[in-house]
This record gives sequence, C-alpha cells and structure tokens, in this order.
Amino acid sequence: MMEFPAPASERDGGRWPRVGSLFTAAVVVPTLVAAAYYAFFSADRYVSESRFLVRNPHPPQATTLIGGLLESTGFSRSLEDTYVVQNYILSRDALAELEENLAVGAAFRKGGRDFLNRFPGLEWEDTFESLYRYYKARVSVTTDTASSVTVLTVSAFTAEDAYRINERLLVMSERLVNQLNRRAREDTMAHAESETQAAEARARAAAQALAAYRNRVSVIDLERQAALQLQEIAKLGDALFSARTLLSQVEALAPRNPQVSALRLRVRDLEREIAAESAKVTGAGGSLASKATEFERLTLEQEYARKQLEAALLALESARDHAQRQMLYLDRVVRPNLPATPIEPRRVRGFLVVVIFSLMLWAMLSLLIYSVREHRS
Amino acid sequence: MQGEPSFPDSLRVQLRVLGALSMREIVTRFGRDQIGFWWLFVEPMILTVGVTVLWSVFHGRTPVPIAAFAVSGYSMVLLWRSTVNSCIWAVASNTALLHHRNVKVLDLFISRILVEVAGSTISFFLLSVVYVFLGLMAPPVDLMNILVGWLALAWFTAGWALCWGAASTYGELVRIAWIPLGYFFFPICGAAFMVDWLPSKLQALALWIPTVHGVEMMRAGIWGSGVRAHYDIWFLLASCVIVTLLGLVLARGAAYRVDSL
Repeated sequence: MMEFPAPASERDGGRWPRVGSLFTAAVVVPTLVAAAYYAFFSADRYVSESRFLVRNPHPPQATTLIGGLLESTGFSRSLEDTYVVQNYILSRDALAELEENLAVGAAFRKGGRDFLNRFPGLEWEDTFESLYRYYKARVSVTTDTASSVTVLTVSAFTAEDAYRINERLLVMSERLVNQLNRRAREDTMAHAESETQAAEARARAAAQALAAYRNRVSVIDLERQAALQLQEIAKLGDALFSARTLLSQVEALAPRNPQVSALRLRVRDLEREIAAESAKVTGAGGSLASKATEFERLTLEQEYARKQLEAALLALESARDHAQRQMLYLDRVVRPNLPATPIEPRRVRGFLVVVIFSLMLWAMLSLLIYSVREHRS
Repeated sequence: MQGEPSFPDSLRVQLRVLGALSMREIVTRFGRDQIGFWWLFVEPMILTVGVTVLWSVFHGRTPVPIAAFAVSGYSMVLLWRSTVNSCIWAVASNTALLHHRNVKVLDLFISRILVEVAGSTISFFLLSVVYVFLGLMAPPVDLMNILVGWLALAWFTAGWALCWGAASTYGELVRIAWIPLGYFFFPICGAAFMVDWLPSKLQALALWIPTVHGVEMMRAGIWGSGVRAHYDIWFLLASCVIVTLLGLVLARGAAYRVDSL
C-alpha cells in the first residue's frame, strides 16, 4: 500500500517535485532517447572470432612428481606465452602496425550516424591514444585457463574489416611467437657453437704440432720403432754369441787355424755394431729415448684436444635438441570467420535494459521523495 | 488537516532528524568518556591492522603487496558486516523513538547506515594514509578509481543493509539467518582474492557478485596497471539500484508493520 502524492491538478500548485515530472525525467525521456538511438542512429557491427592455442610440444622435463603427473598429457599449453601473445595483441605496437597496413582508424570511422560507437565517438580528441582506447574496446582476447584456448574477437562496422583485422592479428601473433623461438634458439646455440669452434681449433693445432715434430725428427711411431731397433740388437746379440762360441771352439781345437783371425774380426765387428745400435735407442743426442719426452707430450696434447672436441660436439648436439624442445607453436584452432550478419548492437536487449532500469530508478527516487515528504514541521 | 509542507521544508526536517538520530546512535553506543566516538573508526582500524598482520604471516608470498590488499579488502568486509549488523537491530532497539511524529522507520535505518559508512570510511582513509607513510603501501595510482569504487560499495552496502534491516522486522528468523550468511559471504565477497587469480570458470561466477567489482576497481586504483583487474562499474551500479529499490520497498512494508503493532 504505497501512497503517492496526488496528481498536481488536485493539489494547490507550485510544489516540487511532482511525481509526474519525475516520471517524465526518469522514464519517458530515457526510453524515448534509447528508442530513437537504436532505431535511427546505432550502426550494425560485425564480429569476427578466432581461437588459437600457444603450445609447446616438448615441455621441459618436470622436476617434481606432481609436476610430472600434471604434465603427463604429452604437450604443455604454455599459459605464460599465451599471456605474452595477449599483451601483444592489445598493445600500441600491434595497433600501429594494423593502422599502417589496414588503416584501422578509417575502418572504425565507418560508423555512419552512430555517434556513440563510431570512432572517435565520445572521445574528446582524435589522436593515436584515443584510437588505442577505442581499439581496446573493439578487440577482445580472453584465455580460458582450463583449456588455455584463447578467443580473439574483433568487432567492426563491416564484415570484411572485422575479418581482415582478426586475420592480420593472428599473422602478427604468429610472427611474434616465431621471433620468440628464434631468440631462444640463438641464445642457447651461440654458446655451444663458440665452444665447439674453440675445441676444433685446439685439436687442429695439436695435430699439426705432432705432424711437424714427426717430420722434423723423422719418427712415425716411437714405440714401434724402438721395438724394431731392439729386435735388431737382439739379432746381433745372437750372431755375436754364435760367433764367440765358434771362435772359442776353433781356438781350443786348432789354435793355428787361419779361420781364427777371421772369426775375431767378425766378433769385433758385431760388438761395434751392437754398441752403435744401442746408442740409437738410449744414448745421448739423437737417440729414440731422448725424443720420447717431447713426442709423449705432443701425443698427450692431441689426445686431450680430441676428447675436448668430442665433448663440445656432444654439447652442441644437446643444445640443438634443447632448442628444438623449446619451440612454441601458435595453433589456429578456429580460423577467423567472415561474419554474415551483424550481431551487435543487440537493440531489443539494450532498449529493454534502459526501460527496466529507468523504471527502477524512478521507483527508487519516488520512494525516497515520499519518505522525505512524510516529515512535517 | 493543514496544507502539505513544501519539499525543502520536509527535507530540512528529515535531515535534522537524521542528524539527531546519528548523534544519539554514536553516544549511546560509545558513551562520552574515554575516547568516545573515536571508537567508531578506531575499532575497525584495529581489526584491519590485526588482519593485515595475520595475512602477512599466513599468506606467505602473494602476487600483490599484502598491506594494501588487506586494507582494501577488509575495510569493505567491515563496512558491509557492521552496517548490516547495526541495521538488523535498528527497529528493535529504537521502537520507542517511533512515537515522535517525525521519526520514521526509514530514518532509523538511514541514520545507522550513515554512522557505519562514516566510521568505515574514516578508518579506511586513515589506515591507508598511515600505511603509505609507513611505507607498507605504495601511494595509490588512481585516486578516482578508489573513490568511485568505495562510494559504489558504500551505496550497495546501504541498499543491502536496508533490505536486511527491514526484513528483520518481519521475523526473528531473518536475524538468525544473517549470522551464517555473513560469515559465508566473507570468502566470496572479493576481499580475499583477486578475480585474475581464479580459473576462468570461477572468474565468470565471481563476477556475478556485485561487491567483487567494487573491490577490483579499488585495487585497480591502488596498483594501476600492475594487476589485471576485472570489473564493470555499471554492473555494480545497476546492482545498487536493484538492492536499494528492494530495500525501500521492504522498509515501507516494515513501516506499516511497526505502525500497526
């Protein structure tokens, strides 16, 4: 049972405010304005939608058990990288590129008589900043954290514009993802590559030093050459032994045999020969033993350099593998569509919202005014 | 019956009534001795400081500075809770005052709402200033966002408290129902989380709660673009209109019920 003040005609005039005028101001005027706007001014807007997924087919190995369980799905949808793409799409950089290639500013001006929604609309000035604000209202990027699919919608005054802007944004996002990939790969590979080059140079230097030394002292393989020499000496020793035996036998049986002096000569020759051969192996100066120290050192160095090169090559391989694993892909789940019909603005809905809320506002204000009127001095 | 008084005269009378009722409320609640009406905002300040300390200890690492998070969130909870608590007793403890011709049921609610909103606002303001001076909180990025967010929250709280206060005259059950509801409301009102931290399904649900929008808006004002705030001020204002209308209708019914007692 609500009592509202009687109509103005029944009361002694000049009181303020009348519910009638309040109703006009709070309900009739907004309703008429909304009706006029939706009927004559609002322009159709087409919405083009696409969906994409930023993912990493080989996620880095999980370090914890729980992490492993969570990531056992085979590929990880990298949310962080999705946010990077989101931020890029809503950036001034992206808008500047769109403006350069597609003249989005002009596209957003096509709103005809729609003074509210065309650019610059209610903005005070027509600058890049105001275009950026407008752009952020027309482009939306939202990521569903459960599936990590990102929905990109673009709303524009013609279907082609909406489609072209959406498509272009996707291409630009793909380029961004590729840039991120290239950067990551270059960073990981650069170090491994320089390491490998250094090891290669060292191995080559060691091999060259060894070859030069071999040429200089005319040694191919020290060990084998020494063995050969020793074999020679042993053979000579055998001959010496048999010569001596023969000599002592002949001397004992026939001391005046003419063979004796020949045998003596042979023994002396053999002894001299053995001394000369031994000197080649161990003696001072040009012997094999004196060459051994330097030769050993160079061989060791070459061995070491080769091991290092092997390790560096292995590291390079694993770095390449790692870079491959870190690759991100932007997968288009749903390609942008060329909208056939405008789905914005929703005129009936907007009009009803205005009517209902103005009625509620009016009811609220009349109740408040009525409660004030209950007080009398 | 003499001629109807003019609207400005009535308004003047009502404002005088509201002023007197508010002063009476403060004096009867806090007394005149010791720090008297200062309790009005010292009490929420102490509670908020307590919550700041608790959250700093137990929340560990949060994505945002905890002091500002606690002040923005808990001040709203206190505003909300104390206003409803005060309104559901407004008629029951002041029935005698209704014998005055110019004291109406709605005036009892409005005066209590004014007192509570003023107390919470002063507490929020002073604590923020103190925290900024102590370096616990960075100076806010956008004061306008905080102001509009807080005012919208205050309006929403007023409408909501009016609903509960008026409904409490219909039966004792309402007062009992409010107690669990008030506690249930704390984790979902937006004070203890930011929408961006939630999974997207929950985000959509959370954005149906009007107060979430106000808190998010205030936090956007406190931290600026450092956080992703999700809010729609028009949704909050529309909710304000709805609860206020509902509260006013319920209050009219309450007035008839109380008059006929």
